[in-house]
Amino acid sequence: MSTDPKYIRNFSIIAHIDHGKSTLSDRILEMTGTISARNMKEQVLDSMDIERERGITIKSQAVRVDYTAEDGHTYQFNLIDTPGHVDFTYEVSRSLAACEGAVLVVDATQGVEAQTVANAMMAMNAGLEIIPLINKVDLPAAEPERVRAEIEDGLAIPADDAVIASGKTGAGVGDLLESVVYNIAPPEGSATSALRALIFDSYFDPYRGVVALIRVVDGSIRRGERIHMIATGIDTLVEEVGVRRPAETPMPDLSVGEVGYLVTGLKEVSNVKVGDTITTVQGGVREALPGYREVKPMVYTGLFPLDGDQYEPLKEALEKLSLNDPALVWEPEKSHALGFGFRVGFLGLLHMEVIKERLEREFGLELLATAPSVEYHVFKASGEMLSIHSPQEMPDPGEVLRIEEPYLKAKVLIPPDYVGAVMDLTVSRRGTFKTMDYLSATTVELLWEIPLSELIMDYFDKLKSNTKGYASLDYEFDGYKASQLVKLDILLSGKPIDALSFIVHKDKAYDRGKVLTEKLKGIIPRQMFEVPIQAAIGGRVLARETVKAKRKDVLAKCYGGDITRKRKLLEKQKAGKKRMKNIGSVEVPQEAFMAILKVDE
Amino acid sequence: MHDPYKALYLHLPFCKKRCAYCDFETRAVPQDSPVISDYVEAMVMDLRREAREGRLAEVETVYLGGGTPSHIGPANLSSLLYALSVSVPLTSQVECSMEANPESLTEPLVRDMWALGVNRISLGVQSFSDPLLEKLGRAHSADDARRAVVAAQTRFDNVSIDLMCGIPTQSFEDFHESLKEALGLGVRHVSVYPLTIEEGTPFARRQARGTLEEVDQDLQALMMQMAASTLEPAGLVRYEVASYAAPGYECRHNQAYWTGRPYRGLGRSAVTMTQNASKRMRIQDGEVIEELDRRQMAAEDLMLALRMTRGVGVEALREAALLLPDAPLVFRELVQKGFLEQREGRYRPTLAGWLCGNEMYGRVLDLAP
Repeated sequence: MSTDPKYIRNFSIIAHIDHGKSTLSDRILEMTGTISARNMKEQVLDSMDIERERGITIKSQAVRVDYTAEDGHTYQFNLIDTPGHVDFTYEVSRSLAACEGAVLVVDATQGVEAQTVANAMMAMNAGLEIIPLINKVDLPAAEPERVRAEIEDGLAIPADDAVIASGKTGAGVGDLLESVVYNIAPPEGSATSALRALIFDSYFDPYRGVVALIRVVDGSIRRGERIHMIATGIDTLVEEVGVRRPAETPMPDLSVGEVGYLVTGLKEVSNVKVGDTITTVQGGVREALPGYREVKPMVYTGLFPLDGDQYEPLKEALEKLSLNDPALVWEPEKSHALGFGFRVGFLGLLHMEVIKERLEREFGLELLATAPSVEYHVFKASGEMLSIHSPQEMPDPGEVLRIEEPYLKAKVLIPPDYVGAVMDLTVSRRGTFKTMDYLSATTVELLWEIPLSELIMDYFDKLKSNTKGYASLDYEFDGYKASQLVKLDILLSGKPIDALSFIVHKDKAYDRGKVLTEKLKGIIPRQMFEVPIQAAIGGRVLARETVKAKRKDVLAKCYGGDITRKRKLLEKQKAGKKRMKNIGSVEVPQEAFMAILKVDE
Repeated sequence: MHDPYKALYLHLPFCKKRCAYCDFETRAVPQDSPVISDYVEAMVMDLRREAREGRLAEVETVYLGGGTPSHIGPANLSSLLYALSVSVPLTSQVECSMEANPESLTEPLVRDMWALGVNRISLGVQSFSDPLLEKLGRAHSADDARRAVVAAQTRFDNVSIDLMCGIPTQSFEDFHESLKEALGLGVRHVSVYPLTIEEGTPFARRQARGTLEEVDQDLQALMMQMAASTLEPAGLVRYEVASYAAPGYECRHNQAYWTGRPYRGLGRSAVTMTQNASKRMRIQDGEVIEELDRRQMAAEDLMLALRMTRGVGVEALREAALLLPDAPLVFRELVQKGFLEQREGRYRPTLAGWLCGNEMYGRVLDLAP
């Protein structure tokens, strides 16, 4: 039996990372009796190991809870948990589109931060009612009044009625539930119109095929019905619909305003795209819901198995992960230095780290990642345009007319004291200053245009350390712009090492080359012979360092008890070597391939 | 059934003071402490039991190490050596070495040692430079060391000293002086150790704090080379990575360790090695700390042999290849890489093999992981 939309509330909880979103969600599940405190694994909604360890959400979740309000009615709450990182901005926007309201969680000790602003903006743009919630008020450093003022001044969201809560103790969570009932609008939409449902997440289940999380906007969706997805043009059968509580509970149908899951039996997650619109094959609509877009990777890296035998397993692992992650794109790549591997595209650096970690942890692979790159557009004299994802694809400089690189609009929030430091840093990373706004007496917003390639260096780490951790960063893609870019080669013992080459702005090539060769000198251990390290553009050497030959590596003492000790030590040395890659005859530690990211100016 | 022990090691874990680089099983205890006499008494019991049960019947070498065996004092030493001499017949065929430190090696002690059957003294000199001895936290001066060598030589022909290279602030010349002084004193055996900073030592703590002068690895390597080029022309020939001796004065006990001969260790933390044709075990404080199968034994024997000048004979390699088919291939690779040279039917370490042996040892042990 379907619920009268009057008693449905669809909302999302949004927050800056670490402001306590997941703990708060857990508390709601507990207080509505959806899950007992005893069975509560911390942060039920973040189900992947990596999500729980890092305290971040990567996939969206939708959980239905029943809440009996003080007015005596029982309400159906659909709580939609969204990814909490800029890499997943599009996914967040689709999740928000499935809601009528959002709870904006702000840490009472930290106040408004970059993603607080970004998420609040996104929620406002989606036309959502926002309930501010000041969290972690149980902490001694909590300053709820200051934070309330920041929400009002910085975000222009009235915060008089902000919920004062602690996800940890559960205080204020009851107020939140009541506030959801009264402040968030029930869903609109027509129960009798043709079906329109929004896909806001999808993943592959090896037993059931692709499962989608959907919000029914109009009409209803029934088990056994044939449906059509407008963007992909694919038809399929509804094998099952239901809701999560958080265990999956099949239902005969989902009707207008409701949120739940849909089992399709389709084999590829790319057939069921986030943002796409579902309608019925028979008597369906033609017009899609607004907001759909193709997801494109922003960052590319080479992933190579340390052990050549692991190429096939790596391929299979990537295939498995792509089943669930349409944003993950990859193609084979061959490196002279590293052998066979893959060029893999990611939404951002976090996405990249998470995927690499999952490949290593869940599939037992040992991988070497090369420095991340972006997609460059290379315009050749012949009129041809190449999209290149790897420095190795860069054509001969003689053939190149111009190169364009992706730029971002970056937003940095900092206390006013750090404006100078952020200016210096960002300008040194080829950032162009746009505007500066005082959001409040304690928060300044700086807008920049900055090449993505600079941001994926250690910009964020540097930003944090130059502002004692106060800065927060948010960014979005801005477009391609022409830049004076060159390919810098790194040579070991006179041989160019393709996996170490990178693309850099002409004016910075000398400095980067010099610092990188110095850095590599520190990373590459002394070998039995001298190893020259050179940085060069074309044939022109910009910088040179030398790793001296190893002179001594011997344990002199080897008596009765030392023999066992010695064996252990040699085994330790050997384990260290295993993490190295043999290039030519030079043993290169893995970190060498990431050294370019750690180049201090 | 296990093969009979060929070597006996007695561990005496007491010192006057602990040196700044030392991570051995030892502690600073006053010479007259009952801790020492109790320990020696227990060791005497152990020795007698081992002898009664026939485990020491084939022992060919004995080594009293530490700690500082000379620190236990004349009374303790006499009762220990007496028990030893009735447990292992100390004939002239049996090498009986004892470690001593200059601060406690007196002439009367030398006479007792001689009378009770010791026939080799190994003196922990480390350096003939007072500032360096102080840096190391040694309990003696350079003059004490000189006196001790002379005292030892009043009875003993077979005297060895230890010298250290790569001590923080030690110059090339400092080390050369110490080598020349050793030669001048006419010792028959010198062990040369590059200083290594071990975890948990005062040196390690100072290094972590940045208050220990850094030792250049290249300089240390040069010093090791200099040891060879100074000692060998004077007749002390290198027979192992760290050991130089006049012909006939090589330490037989240490060679037992390096040639896979079973040894019995008595005393706290002393290691015993026991084996038969199919298995080798090392045991410490009643626990098996290592167990090797035949292939691993063969690989270990090859590795240990490559630490010695005599190296590995072609015949021995052929025999090892029955268990380790890749061994000849690996040896050829080690020749190619410059760690070994093949001469007169034997594989012997080169200069790189002496100074950078770890990679070679690792490769060889890998034949039977």
